[in-house]
Amino acid sequence: MLGMWKSNAPDEFVCIKFDMEISEGSSLSDVASSTTNSSGRRQNSAEVKEGQSFSMCKRLVQMMQGNIWISLSPLGFAQGMTLVLRFQIHPSYGRAVFSPGTSSEQPNSNPQFRGLHVILADDDHVNRMVTKKLLEKLGCEVTAVSSGSECLSALSSAENSFILVVLDLQMPEMDGFEVATRIRKFRSRNWPLIVAVTASAEDNVWERCLRMGMNGVIRKPVLLQGMADELQRVLQRAREQF
Amino acid sequence: MDILNQLQRQYTDFTALLYREGFVDDNFTQVQKLQDESSPDFVVEVVSLFFEDCEKLVNNMAEALEQQDVDFKQVDSHVHQLKGSSSSMGAARIKNVCIAFKTFCEAQNREGCLRCLQQVNHENTQLKTNLQALFTLERQIVANGGSIPVMQ
Repeated sequence: MLGMWKSNAPDEFVCIKFDMEISEGSSLSDVASSTTNSSGRRQNSAEVKEGQSFSMCKRLVQMMQGNIWISLSPLGFAQGMTLVLRFQIHPSYGRAVFSPGTSSEQPNSNPQFRGLHVILADDDHVNRMVTKKLLEKLGCEVTAVSSGSECLSALSSAENSFILVVLDLQMPEMDGFEVATRIRKFRSRNWPLIVAVTASAEDNVWERCLRMGMNGVIRKPVLLQGMADELQRVLQRAREQF
Repeated sequence: MDILNQLQRQYTDFTALLYREGFVDDNFTQVQKLQDESSPDFVVEVVSLFFEDCEKLVNNMAEALEQQDVDFKQVDSHVHQLKGSSSSMGAARIKNVCIAFKTFCEAQNREGCLRCLQQVNHENTQLKTNLQALFTLERQIVANGGSIPVMQ
């Protein structure tokens, strides 16, 4: 049984309650066992001995700002367990990444880009403005920054959860390669996805980018179709890996 | 609606000319296509931003080239930036001058650089005039109740 309600807490949270039945001989019976003393007296719920694994669960759940408890039958046996968890409501960009992508004629009607949180790093005003608009046209939610260091601080900020970083390789103070290296080192080997944008026509740019842990490369000047194709490819690979 | 037809015809012809003469390229078309209800002045904004940046970069380049000991790497980085933004915006002629400009920087040829800088200035002025004329036509078409013809 699953129940869901909005708590009195500010709108950003939702509580989900799981009600589980413990039946005779089910595996949940070893989670909590009631003790019976030799005289077979009815036990008070306070004396229900909790299994070690159960108290560990309880600890974890309480750390997650939830609660878990055993409900007892009239005879003092565990008959059910209730789990309440509190979740913070986030915009549903997660669904956008993992929903099946449908290829369509027009890139801007592709549902898998909708709401995708992207951070765009490019030091040039004009490029930044055009690329940002282009990504927005595809449906992404874009935060544009003008340097590598701004990019890194935006990523480390707890409220921001970016799926994708679009990175100009040739930025003056900290180039794209360094930014990518730092992201992979201090954040995660796989997340967020990184797509490089470069004017370089050298063949080994792709290889170099891959070695640094980037997921894709787009040649400048960026065109809508080129961006859409590469993003689609990168998201597809990510889906296959997770 | 004779005047409207005339204006629209002028617009189409003028646009075709700009593309034919290489003042603008496909990237400019893309910039135009990116304009929508949520950003109705997108093209004008991008173009203004471009000319602002262009002027700053040109001043920086001029200053660098005036030095006794020219720092060609500095000049090159300015040219690189201008090449990038002119490319994104579709300012094809300016972008092409930048390509030549870069080779002169690499060769550390001061004379060649100065000539390119002059050409950048010239192209800049021309493009500004042309785009202003284009935007004026657009405003006139809209003022006359028409819609701006879309380039294919």
